[in-house]
Amino acid sequence: MAEVKLTIDGISVNAHEGALVIDAARSAGIHIPHYCYHPALGNPGVCRLCLVEVEGAPKLQVACRLPVKDGMVVKTRSEAAKKAQAFSVELHLVDHPLDCPVCDQAGECLLQDYYQRHALHSSSVREDKLHKPKRVELGPNVMLDAERCILCTRCVRFLDEITGTRELGVFQRGEEGEIALTPGKRLDNPYAGNVVDLCPVGALTERDFRFQVRVWYLKSTPTLCTGCARGCSILLQTNPERRWHAGGRRAVRIKPRVNSSVNGWWICDEGRASWKAVDAPSRLKTPSWLKSGKAGAMAWEDAEKLLAAELAELCRVRGPEGLAVVLSGTLSNEDLYAAKKLFVERLRAGRLLVKPGPDQLGEEDGLLRRQARVPNLRGAQALGFGAALKECSWDSLLEDVLSGKVWGLWAVGRDPLAVWGEKGPAALSKLELTVHQAVHASAFTQAARWVLPSASWAEQDATFTNFQGRVQRARKALEPLGASRPDWRIFGGILRSLGGAWPHESPEPVFAELSLKEPAFAGLGFELPPEGASL
Amino acid sequence: MSGRITVKTVERPRMGLLEQVYVFEALRGLWVTSRHFFLNLWRHTLKAAGLKAEPGAVTIQYPEDPAVVARRARTRHRLLKREDGSPRCVACLLCETICPAKCIRIVAEESPDVMVEKRAKSFEIDLGECVFCGYCVEACPEDAIRMDSGQVEMSAHSREDMVWTMAELMGDQPKLRPIRPSKDPLAG
Amino acid sequence: MSSFWVDALWSAVKVLGAVGFGMGLAGILSWVERKQSALLQDRIGANRADILGYRLLGLFHMLADPIKLLVKEDFVPPQGQRFWHDLAPGLSLACATLCLAALPFGDSFELFGRSWSLRPLPMGAGVVFVLASLSVGVHGIAMAGWSSASAYSLLGGLRGAAQMISYEVAMLSILAAPLFLYGTLDLAEAVRWQARTLWGFLPAWGLLLQPLAFLLFLTAGAAETKRAPFDLPEGEAEIVGYFVEYSGMKFAMFMTTDFVESVVLAGLTTALFLGGWHLPGLGLLGLPQPLFALAGVGVFAAKVVAVLWLLMQIRWTLPRFRYDQLLALGWKGLLPLSLLNFAATAWVVWGWTR
Repeated sequence: MAEVKLTIDGISVNAHEGALVIDAARSAGIHIPHYCYHPALGNPGVCRLCLVEVEGAPKLQVACRLPVKDGMVVKTRSEAAKKAQAFSVELHLVDHPLDCPVCDQAGECLLQDYYQRHALHSSSVREDKLHKPKRVELGPNVMLDAERCILCTRCVRFLDEITGTRELGVFQRGEEGEIALTPGKRLDNPYAGNVVDLCPVGALTERDFRFQVRVWYLKSTPTLCTGCARGCSILLQTNPERRWHAGGRRAVRIKPRVNSSVNGWWICDEGRASWKAVDAPSRLKTPSWLKSGKAGAMAWEDAEKLLAAELAELCRVRGPEGLAVVLSGTLSNEDLYAAKKLFVERLRAGRLLVKPGPDQLGEEDGLLRRQARVPNLRGAQALGFGAALKECSWDSLLEDVLSGKVWGLWAVGRDPLAVWGEKGPAALSKLELTVHQAVHASAFTQAARWVLPSASWAEQDATFTNFQGRVQRARKALEPLGASRPDWRIFGGILRSLGGAWPHESPEPVFAELSLKEPAFAGLGFELPPEGASL
Repeated sequence: MSGRITVKTVERPRMGLLEQVYVFEALRGLWVTSRHFFLNLWRHTLKAAGLKAEPGAVTIQYPEDPAVVARRARTRHRLLKREDGSPRCVACLLCETICPAKCIRIVAEESPDVMVEKRAKSFEIDLGECVFCGYCVEACPEDAIRMDSGQVEMSAHSREDMVWTMAELMGDQPKLRPIRPSKDPLAG
Repeated sequence: MSSFWVDALWSAVKVLGAVGFGMGLAGILSWVERKQSALLQDRIGANRADILGYRLLGLFHMLADPIKLLVKEDFVPPQGQRFWHDLAPGLSLACATLCLAALPFGDSFELFGRSWSLRPLPMGAGVVFVLASLSVGVHGIAMAGWSSASAYSLLGGLRGAAQMISYEVAMLSILAAPLFLYGTLDLAEAVRWQARTLWGFLPAWGLLLQPLAFLLFLTAGAAETKRAPFDLPEGEAEIVGYFVEYSGMKFAMFMTTDFVESVVLAGLTTALFLGGWHLPGLGLLGLPQPLFALAGVGVFAAKVVAVLWLLMQIRWTLPRFRYDQLLALGWKGLLPLSLLNFAATAWVVWGWTR
């Protein structure tokens, strides 16, 4: 494509032919105010906010509909442009209620921002504001306040063009125009939550987040979603200080983070709700063991020592062939590397299971969601699981347990009882050693001899490899709950108690060693760019 | 508007010889204080003798006489109500945000009135932490909180009792102050 | 009874009387301090302590204070040196109390065929004794500052020591002039000297003959007692000083020391400048000699109280000096002026007596 050269606010800018002035300006670091335009959703040109002056043009031009031309001279901050932008903001505010104090968008509202930046007028409108339906439940996740809507139609276009589900439309005309559900529909598609992010004002709000906490209290951590093999880039928002809000939860909201090579601008509603698990009451907090039918909590040092002794003794007496280890793609690259060192290299466990069974499979669609509901399946494969390291399946494992070939079962983050169904309890009774290492309690937690609490994805620095082979960083947003710790630390601690070498106390050197030892990860560093890096 | 600061130089008054010698100025000071001393002594004596006299002191005898608080003084907060009796507060958390002592704790909830939208489920002020700066009053967009109760007696026997709840701040419920036997902090 | 035992008994009575006088006044001073300051500042002053609802002008604070201080914890800083920490306030108070012994409370009188002195310790060099005793008191302050193991205490102690030594120098040279005039170091003799009249009607008190020395002595004395406007070693609310690490009764002993020193200073001023037990016209009543001497004691006490009132008034009137101003006043103001005064006195006395 040919390059053209134009001048915006005195800065010389190169752009592809056919590009829009608003995009060319953005690439030069000049922000032209806009509501309706969205890079993924086209440019209806309805908000009339991006008016700029173009030399030679008789009137002001709409920057989001104006293609660049060679030699074009654009002024975004000329007196005429400034006046037009301010007037547009004023028109948008004619019927917009000034209820910022109770509006959840306050603090991240483009109307507020642009009023401060471009308008600062005192209203010349004497008439009363129009009243429209408030508190309309569009679907399970989204609430509409039609009064606050400025009819930018971003949500309508998203549902038309991206999901194709067309739940929303603009009804009536002129000042009575409003967004509403098309008859007979409900905004319940799996990507519905994105309309909340798209809405530049407080018209569409997230029902889970409504009135929970003000946005300016939140701390945002750029990390990734661990809900499926896609590994969407997200911002995990936490409420670090004022714990009386949001019911005392630390993690309160997830927003998509733009990453053109993974998820674009969107995330699915399942991922959007995944903060709920972080502070769920089912979280495991202390290592414990069952002794003569009673659960006894203990310190990590003791647990490591006792468990390692048990393992060593059983391996000596019964042989390592009978130890089965259930891992999964929910574990990070570092976790899997540590697991490999412990179970494969040190203990030589006879049976390994990594690939997702019925417990980790879900719906797949063409947009984002992947069938494998684990974030690091590709990473496990890159480390040799399933290829050089032979795997068993849930069914063969059940048979081996029932026939007495397996004496020990160590399940990490997965519940054999949920997969095996009614044969489960019988199988467990055959086992001499059961270990449940997990973030959340489940049926297996009650039955397992050992329970080791893992830290959740929000509580550690780690790397995950998505289905495209893109290695991305999860960043620590919170401290691990209770005594829970990252899985690699648990594996490393046992390894150390068994007499193996494990010098690492933080994830960075683990990854450094991994990238040295594993050819698939060669050349990668722990500090990855925000969009990740390919294997 | 120019950004220049205008500087006015104030000449320090020069002291004469008599002032520098200090003794005479000291005597002048002693004269003033002694005058007050003997005048007040005389007034107290007259009063003790049951005669009419001007008061010998200008101070307010606080625990016996009520405290005099200026009309504009920032005193204990109160929460205001609408005409229908519901609290004015819409739980916007602006006061909680601005509070430099972080002594305001509000939990928000959905209001049954769709036009009000949001209201406070609970609203607590920890007067033990409050610095009485009045920012909460300034920040409030609803005129829901004021510091004009005129009340300055807020002491309590425990930190928990220093926390005022919404009902107490609105005056719906008197602040209960259980007088407990003070516990020796060293007694464990 | 042998004359020795009579002497011993009489001495004991006098010593107890003197100590009682000093300590009693010191106790009352803690009340006066509050009430006098309140009066001159248009306040009421301490009035909360009561017995059965009677408040008696707040006099019970005099009782309440020691009770409170006595039952408080005697705290010694963990790094502090307990022995010296305990010794310091005792030494200070003892030195101040010792000075009381030299004060001439009254003239001696004849009864039962022998002479009875009204001085607790009749001695020829009373002035020197008092000054020496006050000097030893410095050790208490330095000791308190050092043994507290606190930088603030130590600095306060050093400030106190420097201040007191500076003003002792000045004090001696100030007293040189009146003592040269009286021609004695004996305080009783000095009082007797002042019993004469000038031109037949004016009492020959040091105040009139040595007004400059009186002024300088009062100034130096206020500095010596470490009270405002010279309270730099320990400035109550504002200046952390040498007894910051003290609590309870040991703290109270330091406070009492200041008051007792004030009493001593007032006694010395009375003896040297205000004619001691003399009151013009008292002789006209024609009292028998013992009664006359006892009345002298009353006169002396009254004069002491008056001087104490003046010191208290000064303390609540004048603002505190800066430390450099304090030392400059001592070395560059009081000392040269007192030397000039001494030279002038010596010259006049020489001219008079020749």
